[in-house]
Amino acid sequence: MLKNYFKIAFRNLWRHRVFSLINILGLTVGMTACFLIFLYVRFETSYDKFHSRGDRIYRIISDIKTPTETMHPGGPSWAVGPHLMGGFPEVEATVRTTQDELLVRKGNIKFQEMNSLFADSSFFDMFDFKLIKGNPHNVLNEPFNIVFSESAVKKYFGNADPVGQTVLLTGDGAIAKITGVMKDIPENSMIKADMIVSMNTITRVWNTHLDDQWGNYGNRTYVMLKPGANAMAFEKKLPAFLEKMNGSEMKQMSMFPTLMLEKFPEAYLRSDRNDSDSGSIKNVYIFSIVAMFILLIACFNFINLTTARSSERAKEVGIRKVVGAGKAQLVLQFIGESIIICLIAFVFTLGLSALLLPSFNLLAGKTLSVGIFDNKEFIGILFLSSIAIGILAGIYPALVLTSFKPVTVLKGRFNTGSKGILLRKGLVISQFTISIALIISTLIVYLQMNFMHNEDLGFSKDQVMVINSNGDPAKKTFMQAIGALPQVKSVSMASSVPGGGNPGAYSKIQNVKGEMQVANLDLYFVDFEYMKQLNIKMAAGRTFSREFMTDTTKAMILNEAAVKMFGYRSAKDAVGRDFDQWGRAGKIIGVMKDFHYKSLRDEIKPLSMRIEPDGCNLISIKLSATNLPATITAIENKWNTLIPARPFSYFFLDEFFDKQYRSEQRFGKLFLNFAILAIIISCLGLLGLASYSTMQRTREIGIRKVLGASVPNIVNLLSREFLKLVLIAIIIASPIAWFAMHKWLMDFAYRIPISWWIFAIAGITATLIALITVSFQAIKAAISNPVVSLRTE
Amino acid sequence: MIKLEHISKWVNLGNIRNFILKDINIEIAEGEFLSIMGPSGSGKSTLLNIIGMLDTASEGSYQFMDTEVFKLKEKQRSNLYKSHIGFVFQAYHLIDELTVYENIETPLIYQDIKNSERKAIVADMLDRFQMVGKKDLFPTQLSGGQQQLVGIARALVAKPKLILADEPTGNLNSKQGEEIMEFFQKLNLQEGVSIIQVTHSEKNAGYGKRIIHLLDGRIEKIENK
Repeated sequence: MLKNYFKIAFRNLWRHRVFSLINILGLTVGMTACFLIFLYVRFETSYDKFHSRGDRIYRIISDIKTPTETMHPGGPSWAVGPHLMGGFPEVEATVRTTQDELLVRKGNIKFQEMNSLFADSSFFDMFDFKLIKGNPHNVLNEPFNIVFSESAVKKYFGNADPVGQTVLLTGDGAIAKITGVMKDIPENSMIKADMIVSMNTITRVWNTHLDDQWGNYGNRTYVMLKPGANAMAFEKKLPAFLEKMNGSEMKQMSMFPTLMLEKFPEAYLRSDRNDSDSGSIKNVYIFSIVAMFILLIACFNFINLTTARSSERAKEVGIRKVVGAGKAQLVLQFIGESIIICLIAFVFTLGLSALLLPSFNLLAGKTLSVGIFDNKEFIGILFLSSIAIGILAGIYPALVLTSFKPVTVLKGRFNTGSKGILLRKGLVISQFTISIALIISTLIVYLQMNFMHNEDLGFSKDQVMVINSNGDPAKKTFMQAIGALPQVKSVSMASSVPGGGNPGAYSKIQNVKGEMQVANLDLYFVDFEYMKQLNIKMAAGRTFSREFMTDTTKAMILNEAAVKMFGYRSAKDAVGRDFDQWGRAGKIIGVMKDFHYKSLRDEIKPLSMRIEPDGCNLISIKLSATNLPATITAIENKWNTLIPARPFSYFFLDEFFDKQYRSEQRFGKLFLNFAILAIIISCLGLLGLASYSTMQRTREIGIRKVLGASVPNIVNLLSREFLKLVLIAIIIASPIAWFAMHKWLMDFAYRIPISWWIFAIAGITATLIALITVSFQAIKAAISNPVVSLRTE
Repeated sequence: MIKLEHISKWVNLGNIRNFILKDINIEIAEGEFLSIMGPSGSGKSTLLNIIGMLDTASEGSYQFMDTEVFKLKEKQRSNLYKSHIGFVFQAYHLIDELTVYENIETPLIYQDIKNSERKAIVADMLDRFQMVGKKDLFPTQLSGGQQQLVGIARALVAKPKLILADEPTGNLNSKQGEEIMEFFQKLNLQEGVSIIQVTHSEKNAGYGKRIIHLLDGRIEKIENK
């Protein structure tokens, strides 16, 4: 019996190959999209879950309230960690980490290690980063202890055992001893490092006051509670702790921090601190929903196509009923057929996913999975889901098919599923609604990306090469040397460049009422050439100039946003007012026009600039566009001559600035790909439906032609009903898409307006696609010979 | 075997009742060979469908082997006709995706007969119709007459008491038609299978013992041979 059904099912599939193919294709594409998105979701949610004590580990974050604003640094002050130990019974361990770029040298091998971490000694006791060599309890105890990752070891030591050997740090002779080797940190970890240096190197040697500095920020602090400890109760004790330890200084500085705990394993997705590698739970939700929609579209297709073809099978159903088939047996037969289609699609899905995986990994920017067979449980789930889809999507068509009365169908005067037609129209409308909404959203995402890429930032970032001198004493000599090169237009230095980080400085500025107001201002140390090089414009007052001796110590320039913060209505009112910042005091000599020194996602914050040559490590070089490679080589040669101890490395400011949008760009690309997928599936569905409907109306078309209809008349007739559906879809999709995109754009301080023509383009595109899809069939039917169509069987 | 009393069937077009059958009363005994004749639209096929339980009447009672058919539920009706009645159609109505063997086998599948038994029964049938060599061919590969033979074989395979044939020779040429009618006659006389056929042709009607003439849904005349 089963064998009989299989045989018939396959023969049916083969006989109506085109439909079967469309069906299987649609399902395959839908399932593949789901599979890939699942990989992405699984990877994102797997971050930091490998720590066995993870349920007890929390990140301490801090919000700092000042009279003018609330700041959100990445971690609490340096003093918090050490002072929590011993003061609270719940706390088992605390670890602070801070990232740094270290110049590491072993003999002739030197690299600027971008992924270096300093960490307190309990680091390996708290986190599950596996040590291949070395004892986790003491490997970071002494100052200048360093743990290398396996890859780092290969770079410097090849296959030799590095433990006990030494390397030079920072290029100026700080000697570090390798005390351990750890396995490379996996990609799904928020904490990333190629090498880890003991925090005692800083706190006991380089900056011995750090452990007591309550106003100094720039680290991340983690706390591990004892088993059974109540985290919420502990968190409630923290305000009293801060008040006791630092209350008077807080009042004096008018800076009031609050400490909060966030669960460490969830920080990657949910934390709102600006971590360099952070995912977003929102994105995970968005893509999960997209996956469901795509699968839904594929299922709708399946139901649609199968139901539409029902009249072809009607005769068979009638005959079977006459020879004695019961309704249940027939339903089983048809559901069986749909399960078979789904299983075939399942096999194709495995193949397609394996094919697309490398490109998908690239698109997502991370290695989500090495091979699809990595995920046996999910393949199992997908298999069961295929069967479930087969049953669910197959029930409705099966019921429709088995409801035919043999008398009616065998007479031949049978009019197709005028039953199912409302449902089928509904399904096509839903598919197109989803697709159009996706087109609109993708357009908006791309426009926003484009806008951010092209928007005038208020300074010029083209052809600016930046080299980090890391404080090398020869930096000034180097700058003079390359200034002489023919293709170099200008050279300047600063502590920060737009797109990068910068310190926040505790400052007192004279506000409009004349009082010295406290604020934490972003600070750039610059030299006399910097502002001119980047073409930063002034709004009032003057820029730094060598003519004024006091400019090196007693001058500050603020941006318009800063000036507004202090209550000045017009920029020129702030010129000449007092400032007091980090041990320097003087006058505000000018106000610069606001420029975007951070991502367009954020509002332009208050910014201060002062001359401070010793604080400037970043050398910016404006180059002419001609013969760039040769110029770079020339600069490299000068560097290697003057500063041989440090490896030559540089970046270009425009690429560097764009890196801030990396995650949005990736999001945009992924979104676009899935939108295209959804549209393809919808079109497949429309194609199937259109060719089916046309076939149904062959006789009608024949009659019309005999009565005098022309080809355009017929095409018009056939396309009309489908275009109506697309129109309805456009009307439904537009407000939904508008609402969703409006929310998404809210995340950006600088954003595009949602213009009406976006909806028009999406609508026209969808209509065109539908037209093209339908017209193939329509034209073919319209030019066929009426004699053939009207001939009775 | 069959008793039809006051059978009427109508359809409602707006407020008007359009009668397809009006007050039909017939009794048919086992072993009869009956023909139903009449012009187009006289309700012949409808009457046949009602007898075959594929359709129900709007009014009246139908007893088949002492069972009140209209009082049965669909499933019971289906069980009744599938074990006692076989259908032969003018357009043969074979399933094109199945071979000759599989087409003939289909009724047996729905009677839950085991595979080995099915094989035997179908082989027998193929033999009887001299179609053994054609068992793996598809209907589209056969001539009209051969297809009809398959249709008849299918109708007979479950050993029904009654064969209902709706213009069985309508799509065949005269020679093929003759062969089919002679086969029916032999079936009726030698094996006692009751046959009710709907036909246009006087010649075909002549093979049977009784002819019922329908006109506009009513029995106009009953002829006995």
